[in-house]
Amino acid sequence: MGKRTHRLSRRKFLLASGAALAAACAPTGGGASPSATATPKTIKIGEILPFSGVYSDLGNSMRNAANLYKKLNPTMAGRPVQLLFEDEANDATKAKAAATKFIEQDQVDVVMGIVPTPIAYALRDVFHNAQMIYIGTNAGGDWLTRAAGSIANQPASKSPYVFRAAFSSWQISEPIGEYLASKKALKEVQLSYANYGFGQESAKDFTEGFKKLGGAIKGDDVKPALGTADFVPFVQQIKNNPTKATYHFYSGADAQKFLTTWDQLGMKAAGYVLYGAGFLTEQDVLENAAAAKAAEGAITSLHWAVTLDNPENKAFVDAYQKEYTKLPDVFAVQAWDGMRAFDEAVKKLNGDTSDKQKLIRALEDVKFNSPRGAFEFDKDTHNVIHDMYIRQVVNQGGKYVNQIIDKVGRVTDPGK
Amino acid sequence: MSVEQFVLQALNGLAIGSLLFILAAGLSLVFGMMDVANLAHGAFYMLGGYLAYTIVRGSTSACFRASIDFWIALLVVPLVMAVVGFVVAGALLRPLRGKHLEQVLLTIGVAIVLADLVRACWGGEVLSLPAPRGLDASVTVVGQPYPLYRVFLIAFGIALAIALWLVQERTKLGALIRAGVADTEMLAALGVDTERLFAFTFAAGAALAGLAGVVGTPILGLAPGIDDTVLILSLVVVVIGGMGTLSGAIVGAFIVGPANTFGALLVPEFALAFIFMVMAAVLLFRPAGLLRR
Amino acid sequence: MSSLGRILLGVAFVALLLSFARWSPERFWVSVVIQMLISGLFAMSLDLLVGYAGLASLGHAAFFGVGAYAFALVAKHVSPSVAVALPGAALAAAIAALVIGVFSVRASGIFFLMLTLAFAQMLHALAFGWIPVTGGSDGLSSVPRPDVGVSGVNLFLTSNFYVFVAVVFVVGALALRAVVNSRFGLALAGVRENERRMRALGYDTTRLKLVAFVVAGTFAGIAGALQASFDQFVSPGDVFVTTSVTALVMVLVGGAGTLAGPVLGAIVVVSLRTFLADQPLVGARWETLLGALFVLTVLFARHGLIGIVRGGLSWPRSP
Repeated sequence: MGKRTHRLSRRKFLLASGAALAAACAPTGGGASPSATATPKTIKIGEILPFSGVYSDLGNSMRNAANLYKKLNPTMAGRPVQLLFEDEANDATKAKAAATKFIEQDQVDVVMGIVPTPIAYALRDVFHNAQMIYIGTNAGGDWLTRAAGSIANQPASKSPYVFRAAFSSWQISEPIGEYLASKKALKEVQLSYANYGFGQESAKDFTEGFKKLGGAIKGDDVKPALGTADFVPFVQQIKNNPTKATYHFYSGADAQKFLTTWDQLGMKAAGYVLYGAGFLTEQDVLENAAAAKAAEGAITSLHWAVTLDNPENKAFVDAYQKEYTKLPDVFAVQAWDGMRAFDEAVKKLNGDTSDKQKLIRALEDVKFNSPRGAFEFDKDTHNVIHDMYIRQVVNQGGKYVNQIIDKVGRVTDPGK
Repeated sequence: MSVEQFVLQALNGLAIGSLLFILAAGLSLVFGMMDVANLAHGAFYMLGGYLAYTIVRGSTSACFRASIDFWIALLVVPLVMAVVGFVVAGALLRPLRGKHLEQVLLTIGVAIVLADLVRACWGGEVLSLPAPRGLDASVTVVGQPYPLYRVFLIAFGIALAIALWLVQERTKLGALIRAGVADTEMLAALGVDTERLFAFTFAAGAALAGLAGVVGTPILGLAPGIDDTVLILSLVVVVIGGMGTLSGAIVGAFIVGPANTFGALLVPEFALAFIFMVMAAVLLFRPAGLLRR
Repeated sequence: MSSLGRILLGVAFVALLLSFARWSPERFWVSVVIQMLISGLFAMSLDLLVGYAGLASLGHAAFFGVGAYAFALVAKHVSPSVAVALPGAALAAAIAALVIGVFSVRASGIFFLMLTLAFAQMLHALAFGWIPVTGGSDGLSSVPRPDVGVSGVNLFLTSNFYVFVAVVFVVGALALRAVVNSRFGLALAGVRENERRMRALGYDTTRLKLVAFVVAGTFAGIAGALQASFDQFVSPGDVFVTTSVTALVMVLVGGAGTLAGPVLGAIVVVSLRTFLADQPLVGARWETLLGALFVLTVLFARHGLIGIVRGGLSWPRSP
């Protein structure tokens, strides 16, 4: 983390004043760009990621993918790339310190990362006020890319400087609500989720889709805190509800612990069926054998799966596997796409990122084929528009992966 | 809540209570003998848990590797932690003898250093440890599968309580401890080397925290911040039960454990606030503990 | 030095401090100094209890947190005007300190430590659980910066916000200085040294301690309000025991019983966290260094770093 050479600020100050003096004395006119012969300026990208706590696996995947992208694409429009990492540790105060450092000390060109939604909400104003472009590569809270005043006490709202290359909660949970009510003909579901901003939004968005097509939510929601140590009491509580179809949001270490407990308490034998937002059964979770066993057969929705059949995904999965000797997960894809989107925008501007407004326009126009399929930003909200996949966990020759069983095309968040 | 559900959740509460008892027994012993609330007790638990993790998993820590059985960890880790406690007491607490508040403050520094060193060695990821082979099965309780390890933990806690009780009531060491809790100056006047007694007491407290770390990790897992969580819960137990007594640790643990479990299920929003309110009330109105006259 | 000289020196220092945002060679340093001033004010307020009244609190984050949440709620839902939100936060913290203080100051030593911890953890649990008001574990985001009511002065700009924080810090420091140098402050020191004697002299020592507790809580609340408006969010971490512990470390490392000491402690802690954490090898272990420094001050330097600056180490006395 933060492995960068530390410069002497006094010296930099002197150098800067010297440069200013030189610029002031230099003859004007002549037209030649002074940077034409000099080494192109480095593009600095600040990544705020969790390397400790409940979401550390996600942070590690995202760091891997960003580093891999840089390794395979060492320059953006001819400018060398420097990646800086800071640990957010699921702590808004630490994340804010990291953001301030990136903006004011390192003076990065763009900030990416942030896993938990509450931290993205907390830092939205920091980026907005500093006019710093932030490309979210995980936090999926709906309000980060929706207009202000949509609801009372809205925790955040869209900003021209905020883009999201990840997903919104609605994009993941609403479509599978509709899917389960229609194609699976489910009438009743009970809910459980990590009790924080994103978990609550997931449950609400799923309920919206499920109820729309006639489904009903049964019993009290089971809501362990984010990062709960012991899941046994909560899974027992789920078992206390006779509704066998269950929809969940857990991610990272929570998902592993939840599924391990699910296995331990014999939920499958008792007839309980797992549905969920795709993080529940993502590759990072399936690395744990007990969790993978519990997850077999589970149906979840996500904007990617390791088995997705397109050339970009094949190339990405191969490169990632070669570099890190394990399968990538969706978090790696998101970090990869964040890098790619910025790269595309910089290329459109021929490497000139000095004008923030032009950079924003360029990002709005970015379109490319990502490992997840067609990728573009919604010009109004800056949230990604992408396909959503309904996936089922299968055992493929000893390896547990998500197989795509259905697809909802071009899902756009309804936010304005 | 159905009867079956109540029974299962009560078992969960007792398992946590059992763990809290082991923690509180150590904290309470140190407090009784030395008048020091050891605020590094949670860090001792954490270090014990991480040591157990590495020993059992045989996995890599940045600092060392090993591969032995859970049951060996159960013996080795408390011994290692006893040495740690002995060193802390002898090197750091001893120069401050008689100044209890300064000693308490010092343990805060020890906790900060230990927590950071643990992070240096093991990183900040969430780690979990499966129950040891033989105890990783399920038993049937009220017609439902229930993790055998939790039943073991309850039995282990009760057995340890009985053993400690016997030591306290029936052995010369126990007599010494009881005398120390009642009146340390008297012991000194009788020619007992109280400095050595304190160092051994602190070592025993650390060993109990380490033991709790071993048996607690298969249930709670390990992550940064677990030190604060268990420290605060065991302080609540010791305050409610009464500081410095074994019976207090038992009673406090088996009140707080189930209260914590049922509270988190029934009134998740306010259960913890209520527990701390009880702690404050006991400190104010019955500083010797809820059950003491 | 003549008193005129001291005053001139003080004025020059304040002028340099207030104008730092103008002459700082690095933009980033302005943010760092803002954090030092906020933490410094918080640590000074705790020192009124630890250093002057002799009451070691492990729950001072309670008032920092109440101030932070109160500021956030008032600024979001009532008015971000500096004349409303800041006094609102101070008042909320004062009330919390009065209620908690009535119970806590009856105890002393380790019992006081544990009681303040219990009350602070109770508030932390409330911040976590009372979701409609506090946002639960998410906390509250989009907290506005105070509106000072002068057109053209926008505190969302770091350089302007710096001046605001520096002014509040200077006023707070002068007010605390006035408190500790007043007859009340001297009586408080008397309670610390020998409470029984002060009682025999006719002082209501419990009341003295309660007043100190409320004053300390109020200034902690103001520091919390500054933190909330600096960060533009609040989270339950503001009320957690680690926040109390950090403040206690600042006070003891810097030097309890002086006002400059806690500020020095805050400068040390914020510097370690900000600048050292980035250095390879040692840097990642800045908390180990801080913890070790804390242990060493408790063992060898009862008056902290400021004591070393002023006159050598004080070895622990043998009984």
